[in-house]
Amino acid sequence: MTAPFDFAAGWLQENLLLPLLYSLDLMQWEDISFGWALFAVYGAAQVAVTYAICVPLERWRPVERWPDRRAVAVDVLYTLISRIGLLPLITFVLFYKLQVALNGFLTDHGWVPPTLERLVPDLLGQQVLTFFLYVLILDFADYWRHRLSHIFAWWYALHAVHHAQRQMTFWSDDRNHLLDDIFSFCWFTCIALLIGIPPMQFPLLVLLLRLLESLSHANTRVSFGWLGERLLISPRFHRAHHAVTAAGEQSVNYGAILPWWDMLFHTADFSRDFARTGDPTAEEALASGGYLAQQWVGLRRMLRDLVGGKAVTK
Amino acid sequence: MKRLLVVLCGAAIAFSAPAAPAPATGAVLVMNSNDATLSVIDLASRRELRRIPVLREPHHVALTPDGRDLLVGDTVGNELIDLDPNTFEVRRRLPVADPYQLGFSPDAKYLVVNGLARAQVDVYDAATYQLVKRFRLASMPSHMAFSPDAATVYVSLQGTGKLAAIDLQHLTVRWTAEVGPAPAGVLWQNGRVLVAIMGSDDVAVVDPADGRVERRIRTGKGAHQLFRSPDKKLIYVNNRIAGTAVALDAATLEPVRTYKLPGGPDDIEFAPDGHLWFTLRFVNKVAVLDPATGEYTTIEVGRSPHGIFLNPHASVR
Repeated sequence: MTAPFDFAAGWLQENLLLPLLYSLDLMQWEDISFGWALFAVYGAAQVAVTYAICVPLERWRPVERWPDRRAVAVDVLYTLISRIGLLPLITFVLFYKLQVALNGFLTDHGWVPPTLERLVPDLLGQQVLTFFLYVLILDFADYWRHRLSHIFAWWYALHAVHHAQRQMTFWSDDRNHLLDDIFSFCWFTCIALLIGIPPMQFPLLVLLLRLLESLSHANTRVSFGWLGERLLISPRFHRAHHAVTAAGEQSVNYGAILPWWDMLFHTADFSRDFARTGDPTAEEALASGGYLAQQWVGLRRMLRDLVGGKAVTK
Repeated sequence: MKRLLVVLCGAAIAFSAPAAPAPATGAVLVMNSNDATLSVIDLASRRELRRIPVLREPHHVALTPDGRDLLVGDTVGNELIDLDPNTFEVRRRLPVADPYQLGFSPDAKYLVVNGLARAQVDVYDAATYQLVKRFRLASMPSHMAFSPDAATVYVSLQGTGKLAAIDLQHLTVRWTAEVGPAPAGVLWQNGRVLVAIMGSDDVAVVDPADGRVERRIRTGKGAHQLFRSPDKKLIYVNNRIAGTAVALDAATLEPVRTYKLPGGPDDIEFAPDGHLWFTLRFVNKVAVLDPATGEYTTIEVGRSPHGIFLNPHASVR
């Protein structure tokens, strides 16, 4: 089922990337570039599948209708940068180098970074089970990363880029400040040093999970029912997190895929219906500005909070 | 989580169920570097029998000098996997930092492990696998070749365009020398060191005494790996960008034949029937080439197949 994607990535590598690297005298990166090709191809597939599913849902049962959708356009740009372009490059250059440096340092000091399978040997060969265990652990870690990004004012200054959108659609999933994304990479790098990161054999499962995350931002009146919403995060559940009354440190429903962590730590709110989204405290540029304006205002706001010593909002 | 999933989506082929086991004489093991598996292929039927799961990213393989153990390096998994070379059953797993390329010195004293990502060359005691010495070499040590007297190992430094000569008697770096952009495969041949220059279209012929490039042999864009035929008459050079394998006369180093082989040809093994088995990195296949006709067939394996080991006497199920 993945053969067409692999074929496309191989074609991209062989016919475009390698000749480009060759002409730029960068052939030492040919292995990394193949990883990027796979990343980009599967990223494009994610966008296509998400679009095919979410657009009909948003047209069928929209929460809001907007005469002017220009604010959505910037979210499209965020998505393309995140899933096909810049972010994968950051992953394969910055993240790769950072992880190699940290791994090397730790190994030199007698610590071989473990993997879940090495900690639990019976998992070796149980690749689907292992993948889901990693998803479980990493979703838990992400719950706390996300929650902390709301607690610390300087961090929320960046994360407000994500929350300022008043016209939230499935495109808004990747609307993040670049620095916020880099913090996330660092966060997961630390986790990776403790339990490893899962093997990368399951692009279709990753695609499904990413579809769920995009869907949770969709402008559609879709809920998964009483039980379903307690198993997976729905558009209704996640919209409560983006509600105007839930911006900043007052938010609820921090989870990305599983609502269990919100239920466990008493931050789940299943009662809110489809509320208006946005952050009333954010500068207008964060809501309706272009990509660079949002990046600049987010950075300026973070520096102001750091210099002003306003470390914690409550 | 979404950003985590971006990290995860380096993406590989979905885990496929192993094929039904079949009796076999002779087998091939393929390292699927982006699939965290090893493919086991029956040599006679050329059918994939099963896949062996590993931790993360298997790249290369080395047979111990006594022929009793087959070591596969899992770089991201930081593990050497010790298999029975006759059955491909996993015997044990050894924690080793970033084992990308592996090689035993001809005197069976050392196991040399190139850590490409960590810019290190580790020299282990071949009997105990205890680390004897670590060399920090900038950067990306990728391939290696030993001098026949086991006195020196030559390591290509892909990131800095150099070749390093490591003195295995005194465990010192004897010299490093510029050989060309992104050097990859290394081979000792008739008192000279041949280095495939991936950032160019040639093989550099290097003086082992000082690293001076004496001449260059044009083979094709992206020259990547070199292998000597079992009869020692030919040297095959795989060219990544040109999508070719070029046979050089081993005595004169003159090209004698070019085979078109798209898909990212990488490592080679030689079958007793004269066929050449190539891993094709970008199309997830192994090619079996008849050098007499230039025709080849392919076998589907896992994602990004890299290292390959062929044992005509293996009996796998």
